[in-house]
Amino acid sequence: MNPALEGALARRLLSSIAVLSLGAMSAMIGTAPAAAQTTLNALVWCDHTDPALIEPFEKANNVKVNLKEYEGTGTALSIISQSRPGDWDVLVIDGVDVQQAVDKNILGELPAGTLPTADIFPEVRMEANNTRNGKTYAVTEKFGYNTVSYDKAKVDPADMRDMSKLWSDTYKGRIAVYDYYLPMIGLTGIALGKATADLKEADLPAIRSKLFDLKKNAKQVSDVVSSQTALATGEVDIVFGGGEWLTAGLVKDKPNLDWVIPDQGAVRWAQSIGVMKDSTRKELALKFVQYIVSPEGQARLATSACYWAMPANQKAGALLTETQKTALRWNEQADYLKKTQLYPIPTPELDAKMQDAWTEMLQK
Amino acid sequence: MTRKLLAALASWLYAALLFGFIFLPVVVLVLFSFQDGRLPVPPFNGFSLRWYEAVFADGKLMAALLHSFLVATVSSLVACLFGFLAAYALARYRLPGSALQRGLLIAPMTVSYLIIALGLLTVLNALGVGLSLWTVGIGHVVINLPLCFALIYSSMGAHHVNIERAARDLGAGEVKVMLLVTAPMLLPSLLAAFFLSVTFSWDEFIIAFLLSRFDVTLPVEIWSLLRSGLNPKTNAIGSLVFLVSVSVLMVLELWLFRRTRKS
Amino acid sequence: MTARSLKDKEQRKAWAFVVPALVWTLAFFVTPFLFMVAMSLWTQQGGMIVQSWTLANYLAFFEKSALFKGLVNSLEITAIVTVLSVLLAYPLAWIIAERVPRRFQRLALTLAVLPFWTSYVVRSYSWLLVLSKTGVINQTLMQIGLIGQPLELASNRTATVIGFVHFFVMLLTLTIYANLVQLSPNYRRAAADLGANGLQTFWHVILPLTLPGIMTGAFLTFVLCIGDYVTPQILGGNNELVLPQIIMLQLGRRADFPMAAALSIILMLVITAAYIACARWLKIERA
Repeated sequence: MNPALEGALARRLLSSIAVLSLGAMSAMIGTAPAAAQTTLNALVWCDHTDPALIEPFEKANNVKVNLKEYEGTGTALSIISQSRPGDWDVLVIDGVDVQQAVDKNILGELPAGTLPTADIFPEVRMEANNTRNGKTYAVTEKFGYNTVSYDKAKVDPADMRDMSKLWSDTYKGRIAVYDYYLPMIGLTGIALGKATADLKEADLPAIRSKLFDLKKNAKQVSDVVSSQTALATGEVDIVFGGGEWLTAGLVKDKPNLDWVIPDQGAVRWAQSIGVMKDSTRKELALKFVQYIVSPEGQARLATSACYWAMPANQKAGALLTETQKTALRWNEQADYLKKTQLYPIPTPELDAKMQDAWTEMLQK
Repeated sequence: MTRKLLAALASWLYAALLFGFIFLPVVVLVLFSFQDGRLPVPPFNGFSLRWYEAVFADGKLMAALLHSFLVATVSSLVACLFGFLAAYALARYRLPGSALQRGLLIAPMTVSYLIIALGLLTVLNALGVGLSLWTVGIGHVVINLPLCFALIYSSMGAHHVNIERAARDLGAGEVKVMLLVTAPMLLPSLLAAFFLSVTFSWDEFIIAFLLSRFDVTLPVEIWSLLRSGLNPKTNAIGSLVFLVSVSVLMVLELWLFRRTRKS
Repeated sequence: MTARSLKDKEQRKAWAFVVPALVWTLAFFVTPFLFMVAMSLWTQQGGMIVQSWTLANYLAFFEKSALFKGLVNSLEITAIVTVLSVLLAYPLAWIIAERVPRRFQRLALTLAVLPFWTSYVVRSYSWLLVLSKTGVINQTLMQIGLIGQPLELASNRTATVIGFVHFFVMLLTLTIYANLVQLSPNYRRAAADLGANGLQTFWHVILPLTLPGIMTGAFLTFVLCIGDYVTPQILGGNNELVLPQIIMLQLGRRADFPMAAALSIILMLVITAAYIACARWLKIERA
């Protein structure tokens, strides 16, 4: 090729690349004002990321809701500690950890009379957790159980009523363990006959060795979704730590999936939602909280894409179909609530030790 | 003779096996992106395009595609520009401590991305700088700058010096020489550096994961998609990215590099 | 005098060219790194970073078996992956360089690295699809009756290693091929003239000559493998943790930046040691 032409071609190419990237750059800057449309930043568990839940609120209020999902309170607090004050407007957090968040001065007060407290199932109102000195900092939005999920075509459902069977050779290599130390240490404690509320450092050695034994029987230790996947694809037959949140959403495709609360009992989780203390958009944030705990929001949250679970607001029942209610086992809740205990609430020192025990278990 | 034949046969068999190994995940990925059902595992239920429709209907994925494109082009451009300038200075001038400078510029190449990301994250935290696509871009320039510099520097042969000198004798200024003489001569390596950077930035996960918040790049979005379970939608976006990358690669190969190589 | 000032001017210009790259590297690479070193000597207590100098994090690394085991796992996996990848890639590179007709070599090589262009995260995910109990391999093997029970391929070290080896076989094929084609056929002819058979030629001539290519590839494999979080996280099923996973755990679950920093420095030291071990084969040359 003629060198002059080559040079010309090269120059044209370079300049077109320059133009292209200038365009890209301006597009990038251009997106900044667009982002200036009112936004709301929420730190949530993955069930809140379902567009079917969020979009109605966005449309009604002409707002963009930015969602960041996390798993486990430690992760949420870690993200918050890496942010500036005012970065977050709404926080979804495990009910048992609300007090910790209040201690850390993260959550703001929710004005009295703005929430449908009377409609919330009395058993999950959790005033001791959600309020302090008469001030409300968060409200329960969803609850469920960390217990035993299984594929009834592959395991004997009668066995699943006895938690100790998970440690037996029969199910070796067929179990996925949910990767969240807090409920799992609670569950293991229950298997040892210890109440979650009374867990002390002295109980840890026994729990640790019980966990190590569990690990020997487990095929994998995995988060919400990997556990779901493993059960759905038949990679494992049992998910220890699972519950309706793991199976209810899958029942349509996988009718063999089931869950049970063993005779020993199980742990109950409850999510609370609140407004961040340093939020600069408190009014809108409150509106979002109100939407989430309204019957409409609750029905959508209960059946959201990432996981299903019971809504805290009883009135959501009117908006759920019978099939949905059956999958959620709406009518059996009274019995379940009686048989289950809340997550352990360890001191920071005990919490660190629990995490260490959990990491050690992973490495076994 | 038979031994030779046997050896040939064995090597073809080996090559076939290894190519099978190399292509297995890609074939499975693409095949089950057409799965008519919720799970991308056997049995194959039938052919469907619904997961591709789902990909295009997913606003977050489309936004992530755009973000990845922006971050990749802008960060690669910056990396190429800085890399080129530095290579030019270090190859054409005698600067004090030039070996040290070269070492410094190459150094990030020998460090894990995780460490680079973590370092940047701690500093950004300490300074109270919020995370955004810009911080991801900063990180990507850090990893691509050494690459661009090394590539361009190694192609700055001495044989170009005379042409540059001639241009200077004809009255061209420094910048003019650099832009109109050196850069076009180095075009193949400039382009190679640019496209390699784009590839790396486009596919980079851990820096983008740790240094972004709401606006995320494609690998991070795919990561969270993946966290929504085994889903043929992940196959569909993966196949699409693969298809587009390979087409771009072919166009480059056929059009650009063949052309420049001929000259 | 004028010559001197001209030289000064030239120098200034040269500095102006090199400064952007230097400043960028200093600001966004060296400074963060130094900051991280300092951070690793602090501690995190009750969610707050305590800025008093201590080796506590490093001591904890050696005291807490779960953390130290992370390094052991990392080293084991990386060693297995590196050796396997070299052993698998070398013959392939050789076949492409020797057996494939010249004009198809480029095509063969491009094909051999084509899966590079699936996204990195997606690649691990596809291996999950391939290796799971209901995945393609197990289903096929069961269909043809080779096995009655599915093999445990996913969610363990085997899966992590397969995922890694897949990637690095491609990479090493590339580097070793590049090395092989540079060999002059004269070496082989000379060896043959001296009466060496194929194996001897390979062992005494070809292999030593391709060693730099192998070592460059092996070093790259080591660095990329030991620092990777995605592959073990997706394929390992949390049955054991490697160092990067433990680093991410410190960050994600406890916001323990000092501990994460200390572990990163340890990772960094391991990589440096590997670099020193391979240094004599690694050179960045200017053509």
